[in-house]
Amino acid sequence: MSDKTKSTSLAGRVGGVCLLALAVAYGIGGSRIEYAFASDPLGPRVMPVALAIVLGILCLFYLRKPGIAEAFPTGPLLVKTLAVPTLIIIAVLLLEPLGFAASIFILTAGVGWVFGAPLRKALIGAAGHALLWWFVFSWLLEVYLPKGTLFG
Amino acid sequence: MNLEYLWGGFSVALTLQNLTIGFIGCFIGTMVGALPAIGPINGIALLLPIAYTMGLPPESTMILLASIYCGAEYGGRISSILLNVPGDAGAVMSAIDGYPLARQGRAGEALMLSGLASFVGGMIGATGLALFAPLLAGLATGFGPAEYFVLMVFAFATLGSMVGSQPVKTLIGCTLGLMLATVGLDATSGAYRFTFNEPELGDGIEFVVLVIGLFSISEALIILENQASGFTVIRQLGRMIARADDIRKSVGTALRSAVMGFVVGVLPGAGASVSSAIAYTTAKRLSDTEGTFGKGDVRGLAAPEAANNATACGAFVPMLTLGVPGSGTTAVMLGALMLYNIQPGPMLLTERPEIVGGLVASLFIGNILLLILNLPLVNLFARVLTVPNWLLVPGILVLSIVGVYSTHASSFSVLLMLGIGMVGWLLRKLGFDMAPIILGFVLGHVMEINLRNALAISGGDISILFQSKISLVLWVLAAAMAALPVFLSRRAKKRLKATAPA
Repeated sequence: MSDKTKSTSLAGRVGGVCLLALAVAYGIGGSRIEYAFASDPLGPRVMPVALAIVLGILCLFYLRKPGIAEAFPTGPLLVKTLAVPTLIIIAVLLLEPLGFAASIFILTAGVGWVFGAPLRKALIGAAGHALLWWFVFSWLLEVYLPKGTLFG
Repeated sequence: MNLEYLWGGFSVALTLQNLTIGFIGCFIGTMVGALPAIGPINGIALLLPIAYTMGLPPESTMILLASIYCGAEYGGRISSILLNVPGDAGAVMSAIDGYPLARQGRAGEALMLSGLASFVGGMIGATGLALFAPLLAGLATGFGPAEYFVLMVFAFATLGSMVGSQPVKTLIGCTLGLMLATVGLDATSGAYRFTFNEPELGDGIEFVVLVIGLFSISEALIILENQASGFTVIRQLGRMIARADDIRKSVGTALRSAVMGFVVGVLPGAGASVSSAIAYTTAKRLSDTEGTFGKGDVRGLAAPEAANNATACGAFVPMLTLGVPGSGTTAVMLGALMLYNIQPGPMLLTERPEIVGGLVASLFIGNILLLILNLPLVNLFARVLTVPNWLLVPGILVLSIVGVYSTHASSFSVLLMLGIGMVGWLLRKLGFDMAPIILGFVLGHVMEINLRNALAISGGDISILFQSKISLVLWVLAAAMAALPVFLSRRAKKRLKATAPA
């Protein structure tokens, strides 16, 4: 067995254990749902508990034979992969205070750079994105987007 | 046969607003389809919330989404032919003969010929849908909660053929979708389930949040990993008019493949990738007398293109008549109807004929628009392939954020979308398909409500699920559909054993 196959098989098993843990947690959560009355014989608990059992059984099958999984990124690619969601979180947190255009500029400049654009190109592209999408959504389609509390 | 709904549909689809929407949808769909890695499902996921926020009526939204779907099936061929990288799953087979044609300097001809084959497929598919939808809807009347529940069981049973080689992963995906559907306020008991005291989860997970997270966010991360591989775009398109001899040679293949594609599309679970593969192998078996398939035979290009476009139309049959999606994309469209509080199912054609009729009529109009768009503007669409990822992916992310933010003006929803997207990425790395999760989510709520209503009617007696003829037929069909992949894989193994050298 090659190293890559080993690692992907391991990733599959780790994933299977996580799903099994989810099934257990979901089942316990489902069995503890509080309710005062139910107008049907099943009530709100049966479906979640049944689904937890089904997922648990399926996970056992999956763990036995996880099948093909792709290798997970490592090194610089992993850093880049994690940078994308981080940039989205930053942009979302800045959406209300800085406004749509500024936060989208930060997001698109960062993501463009992560995707391999030289910094200057990434900044120019981001300016284009911010202007284009602001014009399309705010002016053309009249979709509500925050203007930014910092700028009044 | 009552086709009144269709004539009414044409009057809906031919209004200036809906024609414009259809045109925009076809244009965007072709662009989306042409881009490798971004399929119709992503295009629909991104534009659905925007259409909803703009306050478009449901029939206009469905026309927009259907136009994107069909446009993407047309567009998928462009990157298959010019890049040897399919724009979507349905265009995989188009690359086998399309790319060799392009390398022979006949890219322009290949694009025109495949455009014509797509048109034939789309028109035959739309005709089939127009004729079959009222027939099936007529059969499906008389559904009560018990029958609806068994129908949902049938829908899940057909999933085996959606990702036949990995049924456990498909079923896990489906269960995860069902689990996500249980989040939020339970209407019959007033209990909050899995909301973790977060008021924004009280109404459950928004469909838009789930679909954009699973498809767009995870796609962006997958593109990041794959971009190192690099592509070579064939820029010399050559002569743009197909030869009359090639068109004549492909007509029969395209017609036959279109019919096959439509039939495959009607079967819930089987999608364009299956139909184009069947059409290609059939064309090869019947026509490849000189061994030209795979080396740039026009029939090898016409077959999958006609089939995948017909399949896109066929997939609407179970969706519109039974409320069961025929593909991942129609599962998203089903969710779109639910956003408007419209319950898809056997009564949709009777209760909302303008939606069904408008959608079917828009497919006819859309196919004509697509042919007009795709013949002269193919050069423009081909240029989409040269847009670098560093410019494209930020655009996808902006659309995702705006799509989610615009529905509730809430940062929580965007962060939830991101979380779901990251989980989706992890699952995709482990080989899970996202479509079963969407299917489970879309059908989950309907399934639970109908089961509970049925048992409330019977006073808890489970035999109500087996009492009517419809239920029994559906149970038998569900068992047959669940067993089919197992049977087929055993037969394939036996054949393999029989042909293997001793």
